[in-house]
Amino acid sequence: MTLALRQTGALARRSVTGTLRTPQALVPALFFPLVLMAIFTASFGNAPGNIPGFPPVRGFLDFALAGAIVQGILIGGTSAGAAFALDIEGGFFDRLVASPVSRMAILFGRLGGGVTLAMAQTVLFVTVGVVFGARVEGGVAGVLILLLLAALMAVAVSGLGIILALRTGSAEAVQGTFPLFFVLLFFSSAFFPRETMTGWFRVVADVNPISYLVEAMRDLVIVGIDPRPTLIGLGVVLALATASVAACWWAFRRRLAATA
Amino acid sequence: MAEAYAVQAEGLERQFKGGIRAVDGVDLAVARGEVYGFLGPNGAGKSTTVRMLATLLRPTGGRALVAGYDVVKDAPAVRRAIGVALQDAAIDPYMTGRELLHLQAVLHGFARKLGRERAVELLERVGLTDAADRRVGTYSGGMRRRLDLALALVHEPEVMFLDEPTTGLDPISRLTLWDEVRRLNRESGTTVFLTTQYLEEADQLAGRVGIIDGGRIVAEGTPAELKAQVGEPTLQVALARAEDEEAATAALRPLGEPLPARAGTLALRLPGGAAALPGAVRALDEAGVEVAGLDLALPTLDDVFVAKTGRSLEAEGAEEQPAPAPSPA
Repeated sequence: MTLALRQTGALARRSVTGTLRTPQALVPALFFPLVLMAIFTASFGNAPGNIPGFPPVRGFLDFALAGAIVQGILIGGTSAGAAFALDIEGGFFDRLVASPVSRMAILFGRLGGGVTLAMAQTVLFVTVGVVFGARVEGGVAGVLILLLLAALMAVAVSGLGIILALRTGSAEAVQGTFPLFFVLLFFSSAFFPRETMTGWFRVVADVNPISYLVEAMRDLVIVGIDPRPTLIGLGVVLALATASVAACWWAFRRRLAATA
Repeated sequence: MAEAYAVQAEGLERQFKGGIRAVDGVDLAVARGEVYGFLGPNGAGKSTTVRMLATLLRPTGGRALVAGYDVVKDAPAVRRAIGVALQDAAIDPYMTGRELLHLQAVLHGFARKLGRERAVELLERVGLTDAADRRVGTYSGGMRRRLDLALALVHEPEVMFLDEPTTGLDPISRLTLWDEVRRLNRESGTTVFLTTQYLEEADQLAGRVGIIDGGRIVAEGTPAELKAQVGEPTLQVALARAEDEEAATAALRPLGEPLPARAGTLALRLPGGAAALPGAVRALDEAGVEVAGLDLALPTLDDVFVAKTGRSLEAEGAEEQPAPAPSPA
């Protein structure tokens, strides 16, 4: 068992190293969310207090931070999936499968790498936010809860990316689903409050689980520690992460059975 | 199960969706310490067989034992006993050679320090010490294959599977890799099971060769045995004067059966091979024939392939010459 843990750790470290050394994976995950956050903050700086339904907030940056974090995790999840698919395409996966490495370690190594990167990214985004004047009302405890939410979301999203990789075996196919993640993000309250939405858009945002996750994170920033949204967000993301890991394991067994 | 065998298969079969039988009843008995070469054209079933023996693909029929363990029922035990270097060296371009060897050592349960030592040792062994801390993306094709070999050696496997180890390599890199494989077999007694589409590779490297075509083994034996099966050496004589043809033919008749040849040359089977050569030269000399050139051609493994399948492996290979080594990323 300890060997399986060491193997998982070694493979997680490899996947982190791989991402850090692949600028084309690293840059979008950092660049897009931060740029979008900057643009929104500049464009809607006056929105709080002037748009009816906009929650009371110190500034738009405080409001936008959670959206950027979630966006970064979505991009990171696609990268994790694509990297796993590259392992399958390139044969690294075969090499692992033909060695006595624990099957769990093969899967959880990549998942663990995705989670580690997501947490580092979240810390970075919060730091950037704070440097540019945002304030996390939840304090240190708030940041820790935020990290927990980010980690669980990374499990769910990286898991989804890995499922796609296992089913298609093609990095291109995994990358191709990237716009879908973005649609999911835009049809949520990631960038604007649900209170200002109307019609069917509001209905979609209401059923989109990402809304609840973003709102849980956002509340920790703009309100402070408030059990209700936190628990709802935690419940949603825990359910997503569990389902994702279960489906991941299923897809993994299926792939092994189809080949081995 | 006889422990003397490193690889044993009976009626091994793999049928893919759509009914294609990539491997169609292969029997193998590779002794411990042997270098066994699986020779065949693209699509003959070589890689599929290796994937089954390496527990990567489940056979749809028959059974196979590797290092004494069943590849289906005892897959984990097989994995501990084998080293695998598959086609298209599967190596992370963004990791360094040393990092990959460390990782492989940890995955095999080496303690950190021991893993480091093993990495140093293996880098030295495959001649990559100077490139150890460069990213693999900057390696040449030959360096990648050598690293791949080193990775497969980390846990000192009993049986090594090499799937087309030199496809796409330049001649010098190929020779270096051959030396490495020979040394591995000689010094550690590792059984080597390699696939190749190169006649010369099978001839040079393998103690015993199995020729596979259409998912079946069509011939098996040592290269010498196989060649002896298909025919005798042929002697070609280029004449200095075309008008000597009749005299030369008469002089050589007692030595072997004449074969059709271009004008101005003679060809005949020479069952005696090189030993019969002085006799042939003397006979020509005595007949007063002036010789411009002599060539003794020995049967090749390709002649064996032609005899068994009606096709030439060399001709097929020519169409699909290996791509040049991947340029550094």
